[in-house]
Amino acid sequence: MARIELSGIQKRWGAVWGVRDVNIDIADEEFVVFLGPSGCGKTTTMRMIAGLEEPSEGEVRMDGELMNEVDARDRDVAMVFQGYALYPNMSVYENIRFPLRMRGVPKPEQDGLVRRAAGMTELSEYLDRKPSALSGGQRQRAALARAIVRQPQAFLMDEPLSNLDAKLRQAMRVQIKHIQRELKITTVYVTHDQIEAMTLADRIVIMQAGQIQQIGTPDEIYSDPSNTFVAGFIGAPPMNLIAGEVREGTFRAPGIEVPDLPSHLGGPVTLGIRPEDCRVTSGDAHLKGTVYGVEPTGDVTYLTLKSGESYFEIKADRAYRAPLDTPEGIAFDPAHLYLFDAESGQRIG
Amino acid sequence: MASLRRTKGESLFVRYLILGTWALFCLAPVLWFLSIGLRPRVEIITPQPIYWPTFSLDAWHMIWEDWPMGRYLRNSVLAIIGSVVIDLILAIPAAFALSRYEFRGRDDIGFYILSTRMMAPAIVAIPIFFLFRNAGLLDTIWALMFVYAAINLSVVTWIIRSYMLDIPKELEDAARTDGASDLRILWEIIIPAILPGIITASVIAMIFAINEFLFTLLIASTPNAYTMSVALANFTGGSDGVIYNAIALVAFLAFLPIFLVVVAIQKHLSRGLTLGAVKG
Repeated sequence: MARIELSGIQKRWGAVWGVRDVNIDIADEEFVVFLGPSGCGKTTTMRMIAGLEEPSEGEVRMDGELMNEVDARDRDVAMVFQGYALYPNMSVYENIRFPLRMRGVPKPEQDGLVRRAAGMTELSEYLDRKPSALSGGQRQRAALARAIVRQPQAFLMDEPLSNLDAKLRQAMRVQIKHIQRELKITTVYVTHDQIEAMTLADRIVIMQAGQIQQIGTPDEIYSDPSNTFVAGFIGAPPMNLIAGEVREGTFRAPGIEVPDLPSHLGGPVTLGIRPEDCRVTSGDAHLKGTVYGVEPTGDVTYLTLKSGESYFEIKADRAYRAPLDTPEGIAFDPAHLYLFDAESGQRIG
Repeated sequence: MASLRRTKGESLFVRYLILGTWALFCLAPVLWFLSIGLRPRVEIITPQPIYWPTFSLDAWHMIWEDWPMGRYLRNSVLAIIGSVVIDLILAIPAAFALSRYEFRGRDDIGFYILSTRMMAPAIVAIPIFFLFRNAGLLDTIWALMFVYAAINLSVVTWIIRSYMLDIPKELEDAARTDGASDLRILWEIIIPAILPGIITASVIAMIFAINEFLFTLLIASTPNAYTMSVALANFTGGSDGVIYNAIALVAFLAFLPIFLVVVAIQKHLSRGLTLGAVKG
């Protein structure tokens, strides 16, 4: 159980930047998710915490102790890998026991610990099998069991669910969160899946191009995005981002007019509105367009409108149906409008 | 539908015909020297063609009773196994370093190791002779072991390296975060995972070693160190003239064990023979 601090972390390979100036303080027992598109530096950051990668600059500390020079095998962290990384020549039992053997846990204690970890991950019946004789979900659990078997200072999980099908992924998600809460072990989790990030995290760290874009609780990230990247990355379907101009308190873009904006704003801006903060209206509309697509999903219907050259997605009532090219008006919830600087993408209102 | 099926059958027939012809072409010499080895000597050197050969174990008795064939066989086996053991002890760590560590000149060193195989053996024959003479190892199995090991080291290293490159880096990272040292990772994770590669490399080394002739002839001067391949040459001189049926039988005996092993592991072998060319 440990607090993990990263300060001024940089990673370069020659002229290529992997990670730029990452600063974060992860509290003891906290579940932090690094979220971002592939190649954003989130896995590299985690590997630096594990000691598998050396930072070019900056400090990694665990419980205040500087870890930069400490070898991976001497850092008390357990890692779960995307490809599970089970040792193919060993049985599930041997796989789970491996870290105990390597760290010199007394032999008589090993068996009990292995069986306990296997019990927590529902693998007790599969201990004799080789990894090749397990299903994807079972392999995943075996990798998890190997990580939790020796109460490490921290768990590091690198896209552990990305190879599973959707249904299994959800079940494993719940299980991972449950085990983390039960063991109270600081966890760093890397994913590109925003649902995983939202559901698992105490705090989310959003990264892009090697830099942290925002750190916050899932609620903060969702309702208070600091720039267009975060706004567009979180939420499904993503936030609508419309380039336009504000003059005298009114935002205008082709087919869109939003009045009553703060008076200090002016010039080119990007307006953001989430699909769930829009509704179809026959009265006063902020946006006018024609129906481009209707996608019923059962509990909600996704409606895509075409307005000028841009497309606009909203979550409509589950019963909403309309033929293509029907003219439709949309009203925005004025309390949930976001404004971003057109150039920098930073939030301005 | 019927015509389609016939076309399929025809193309299958052609395929088998081609492969069968090729197999016969390859096997013919083997069958031929087996037939020579199991006939009386007189019959072999007769100028008239013989359609119904006479079966005879003359050559069989001769090689075991008149010649120390058991000793040659033992020399071959010891020298070959010893050389493979030496190769594995040296090649596995070398391949590990070449496939896993990043260091300056790594690829050049890897290629240098492979390039030693491209050199014509005759170039180093004389130096090697003096080397072993000064070390007092001439005419010993030890010398054969070292020479075979040296000849095959590059190939064995290269094959094992190619198998190691196929092991996902994640496995090693996992072992490291689990607390394993490099040596433990090599011993407990990597070696078990590339066992097929190690076996393949060993068999290929054995094939090269059992066929080795030049250096063996140079080093061995008495039955102390004669191997099967050099023993063959012994049937060509002396007052008895060329003893074709004995040569054929010994050649067949030298060929058979390796042939059986190759058949048993052929799936892995074709992979090993590419020498990891794809993974440069």
